[in-house]
Formats: sequence, structure tokens, C-alpha cells
Amino acid sequence: MNWDTRYCIRAAAVIAVMLPALGSFDRTAFAYTAAGDRVFPATILLPQISPGDEFYTNIMDMPLTPSGPGTPNHQTNFNAVYAKTITDRLGVFIEETYTRLGTIGGGTLSGWQNVDMSLKYLTVLDLPHEFLFTLGLDREFGDTGARRVGASPSGATTPQVFFGKGLGDLDIGYLRPVAITGFAGYQAADSRPRPDQAVGGLTLEYSIPYLQSKVQSLDLPEAVGHMTPMTEFLFSTPSGRSFGARTTALFAPGISYAGEGWELGVEALLPASRATGRGVGVTAQLHLALDFLAPDTIGHPLFSAP
Amino acid sequence: MPNAQAILRAVRLPPLVAVAFLLWSGGAVSAAPAGSVVGLSGSCFVESGGQRMPLKMGQPVQVSDTVDVPADGKLKLRMTDGSVVSVAAGTRVTVSAYAVDGGGQRQTGKLTLAQGLLRAVVAPVGQPASFEVDTAVGAAAARGTDLFVEASGGAMQVGVLSGTVSMTSAVTRRSVTIPARWGARLEAGRDPVPARIWSPAEFQAVISRTDVP
Repeated sequence: MNWDTRYCIRAAAVIAVMLPALGSFDRTAFAYTAAGDRVFPATILLPQISPGDEFYTNIMDMPLTPSGPGTPNHQTNFNAVYAKTITDRLGVFIEETYTRLGTIGGGTLSGWQNVDMSLKYLTVLDLPHEFLFTLGLDREFGDTGARRVGASPSGATTPQVFFGKGLGDLDIGYLRPVAITGFAGYQAADSRPRPDQAVGGLTLEYSIPYLQSKVQSLDLPEAVGHMTPMTEFLFSTPSGRSFGARTTALFAPGISYAGEGWELGVEALLPASRATGRGVGVTAQLHLALDFLAPDTIGHPLFSAP
Repeated sequence: MPNAQAILRAVRLPPLVAVAFLLWSGGAVSAAPAGSVVGLSGSCFVESGGQRMPLKMGQPVQVSDTVDVPADGKLKLRMTDGSVVSVAAGTRVTVSAYAVDGGGQRQTGKLTLAQGLLRAVVAPVGQPASFEVDTAVGAAAARGTDLFVEASGGAMQVGVLSGTVSMTSAVTRRSVTIPARWGARLEAGRDPVPARIWSPAEFQAVISRTDVP
């Protein structure tokens, strides 16, 4: 076995170990959803918290921690998601991600990640309390992506729960625009050596549109009135035998700007551990609310009343 | 409507008579027909020229009239352009302006909703023509739309079944666009709340309140 062969095997092994963790960051899902007068803006790292009719795309660029020659030191993801409501409360998501990996001395590796689909059912929608709760089931189809960029030959199934809670129903003055969203799931791999993982995350946001419309209209510039500063936190940790996978955690402070039927979000990516990354990354996304832009055609649930 | 000044010039009426004629002429404009009653449930009233009268099926409603639908009533009006306005119980609404051209196409339509709920199925027109529902806190403007407008307690809300509505705050002048199946609220003195999808249950609630048997 020559050096080049060993080099490639080692690089593939390292990628195979790292990418399941990184893959959790691929699963960006952002949605526009609401509970009462609370509109939860599209998030970038965390999955959508309820079904919707939407299309969104994002780019994520992040330096990684290499572990030797041939191992990745930079990752760029291009991600696109189409979401369709089947009924008013049940929706399906289809997601695909294209990855470019920069490696040390090994050039750039490119390819698709595994195809990912999920179902979500909005089980609780409490308008007065600005609260919603959703059950989800995510399915990653193994061996549908390129192994050179870490797509696993093994698929995985992830039961998930999601929630969103605005604080507007509380008597807390200028803190009423605060909202928290989050999710938790358990990713069960189809086969070894892919590890099972616990995944989860939280978003803390302060909605200036909510401040202007529900608390007090301040004389703010027009553009500021459309912004929601927010910080996301996403983690994944192996459960049971890790097969070399490690716990990853990522903070993402940023801003979402909401137009009519679209949102633009930008966030910094701050890895909380070396296993997550080695420096500050960035992500940006464009989200189109098809239920707003085309409410009578593709933005309408397949089965709905009235 | 005759051109009042031209008539006055032609007959050379004394100034006092001219003033009286102009006043009469203005009154005629404000009493232009705007629609008629096509559905009635319970006791409903119209306030016109300082008088309050019970409404009957087929009765015309004029511009500047206020219809008062008490807690036990419901009312449906067909406007002169073909638009249909259904008024829920506990509602007071004034026909502030309503004008159609010779072909029956709406040129302008403005209702002022003091309180309560109404549904407007707005007839589409081939020209830019407004249909607006004003409340104390803001206005909802629509074209070719099926919409609900409710005013209560220093706030208004708009739900849209078809078409698009623009709701504007009377104070901040900021607007929000509301497409079909969406709705939005507006509280006094503030920006409109961003629109959101209304659930079928929310629509069903306002439909049943404005449904005139």
C-alpha cells in the first residue's frame, strides 16, 4: 500500500467519522410559522418547528479542525429544501445538500449528501399563549450521496419533537417580543459503524416586528422594524458506541430580515469545541413562503378547508 | 347629477336661492343609493338623516347611512356594483362612500366599521377601484376579494379568503399585505402585526357569524 492509498483511506475514514456530526448541521430547515400574533422567523441551523409551504436555500461555510494530511479543513454546504403541506397540520419536507470539502494536501472533494425527508404534524397550536408543539419523523436515505464528502452508506431515522413559545402573553413589558424555539431528537442509524445520536437545539429571538405591533411602536427606521436578532444553538452527541464520533455544538448569533413572503437570514457560526470546527464560519439563507406568495396554487395544502 | 353652477348661471337665480340649491345638490350626492338588503335575520336598523328605522328585505341603503345590527340580528347587503356585504350581530357600519359608473363598475367604495364584524365579497372590476373598510385604528383596502374585517376594543383584524388585502395603521401608516387564507391584527397606535395563516377553525368562526340564512 503506497502513501497515496494510505492517505486516501485515512482521509475517507476521518471524513466518515466527522461527517455524521457535521451532517447534523446540514439539516438546516427554516420555516415561517406562527402561533397567534407571534411569528417565528425562519431559523438557519435548527429544523423547522411546524409544517409549511415553502422553499428555502442556504449556504454555510465553516473551517474545520483537520487531523492530518488529507483530512478536511474547510466545509461549504449548499442546501435546498422544499416543504409541502398535505393538510393544514401535516407536511412533508424534502432536502438535499451539496458539499465541498477542502482537505490538507488533498484538494477539494465535492458531492451530494444523502437525500433527507421528514414528516411533521402540528399537534398543539395555542394561539393566546403563542405556543405550538410538533411531532416529526426524519428519514435520511443511506447511500444516496457521495461517500467522499461523508454521505453515509447507512441511513438513519430520527423521531423528533419541536416547540415554539412566545412570551407575549406574559406581563413583562419590553421582554414580550422574546421567543424560544427548540427541538430534540434521537437519530437511530440503520447499521454500524454509524453511531446513534442524540440531537437538539434552541433558538432565542427578539422580534422587533412584535415590539412594534404588540408592545410599543417606536420611531425606528423602516428596515429595523423588519429585523429579528436571534441566536441558535445546535448540538449532537453520540449515544452508545460512538465509532469515533464526538459531541459537537455550535452557536449561531445573527439576524433575520422579514419581507413580505420572504426572509433573509445571516448568522455567524461559532463552534463550541474542536470537534465542531476551528474558527468562525458564516451562513446565509433565503426563505420563500409559498403559502404567502402563491396561496391559491402551490402554497395551498393538498387537502384543506375551507 | 346636473352641473349645479351651470344651471344657476343659466337661470340667473338670486344668491340666496343659489345657496339653497347648492345645499340641496350636496344632499342629493350624499343620499346616492349604495345597495339594498338581500338577507335579514332578526331586527336590524338603518340610521339615515337623523332617523332610525327598521330595515326590510329589498330596502335600499344610501351613502352615509349607518346600519345597526343588534345582538340578535344578521344582515346581508348587495351593493350597486354586485359586491356582497354580510354583517354579523353586534355590528355598526356606515356606508361612507359608494359610487359606480354607468356600466355598474365600482369607482369607489368605503365602509366605516365602528364595531363588530363584516364579510365583504368584493366584486372584481376592470379598472383600478378601491374597496376600503375603515376602523378607528386603521383601514383594509381590497380589490376583488373575499375578506372579513372585525373592529373591537381598540383593535381590528382582517381575514382573507381570496384575493389580497392591504391593512394600514391609522397612526404609523405602516401596512401589511394579507393574502388568501391569511389574517392579521392591528392594535391602536401600533404597526400591524405580521400576517399569518388562519386556521380553518378561525375562518369557520367568522363565516358562521356573518352567514345570513
